[in-house]
Order: sequence, then C-alpha cells, then structure tokens
Amino acid sequence: MSKYGETQTVLREEKYLLDALKEMGYQAEVHPEGAPLNSYYSEQEAKQANIIIRRAQLPGAFGDVGFVRQPDGRFTLIEDELDDHSGYGKKWLGRVQQIYKENQTLAVAQAKGYRLKCRQVIETSEGKQVRLQFAVRR
Amino acid sequence: MREKTITITIDEQGRSTLDLEGFAGKGCEQVFDDFRGGDPLKVERKKLDFYSRPQAEREKSQR
Repeated sequence: MSKYGETQTVLREEKYLLDALKEMGYQAEVHPEGAPLNSYYSEQEAKQANIIIRRAQLPGAFGDVGFVRQPDGRFTLIEDELDDHSGYGKKWLGRVQQIYKENQTLAVAQAKGYRLKCRQVIETSEGKQVRLQFAVRR
Repeated sequence: MREKTITITIDEQGRSTLDLEGFAGKGCEQVFDDFRGGDPLKVERKKLDFYSRPQAEREKSQR
C-alpha cells in the first residue's frame, strides 16, 4: 500500500514560526511569559502574546499582531479585530503556515535522510502552491 | 526496484497534501507520520499499489 493524506498545518514549533516570520521580512519579539499587544483604540482590552510583530513593521495595520502559545502547545494568531480585514487575517496566516510547513518539512527530511528531488512553485487560482518531492535512499 | 517517493504540496491556506508512492506495510505509516508532523488529518486513504505485492502474487495475477 501507498498512502495519500490531506492535513491542516498547526503552528507548534517556535523555531519554524520565527523562521517563517523572518522570511516574510518581520523581526518578531519573543516573550515566553507573554507581553501586551498595542491596539488601535487605547481603551480596548490589552491582549497578551508570546510572539509579537509590532505595528511599525506591518504596513496598513491598526495594531500589533501576535501569536499566543495555547495550553496544548499550539500557537494561535491574535490581532486587533480591525486587522482581520487589513491584510493580517486568515489569508496572511495561511502564508505564514505555508512557509512554516515548508521549513518544517525540509528539516524533517534532512534529519531522517530523505533526499529532496525537486521543489516547484505552482500558480493556481487559489494562490501559489509549493510542491516538494523526496526520494528514499533505503 | 521501484523508487519510493514522497510528494508534499503546501498551499497558501495552510493545507497540505501528502502522497506516498512505492511504499509497503509499516514503513509507509512511519514515513507518513514523519512528514505529517503531528498536523491533523482531514483526508486519509491507502492506495492499492501493485508493486508492493510479493513477486509470486504478481506473477500469478499476470497469468
């Protein structure tokens, strides 16, 4: 038997998340104990995050964008509610997940001894897809 | 011997597909788990793979 599967990327490993953000051009702050996010309206309830990208690095954003470490180990996106429509919502997160998954996959492959045969970027109606093909030596 | 390949496609919505070819048995599951990386599965199916069957069985089916 061979096998086929479809998965949804979960952000769990801080290293790959920081690498993905760096690749997107951000210098993220890391706060293991959490730090407050700045919002557009000062009277908004202050939210805490463990990884923060400050508004100054986010063109058009209303507030800072961050990731919070959940009790089960996942990182989830947290942002000013206004930013869900300013380019830092679901679509932006999908791009973070795409880079994260590629970096994670390449690292796992190298560690386990799989050989990268080719990498392709394919344009589709839903955006770019990254296709990685590996061969097994053993 | 047929080459074993793993093809991973990652889209901009955070979804991935994982396609293993030429694997058999427990080795297939191990490789699949390596690349899944703990991500939740939305779809999973095993594929019939003629070349994963023993030689004698293949010869029998070709007669």
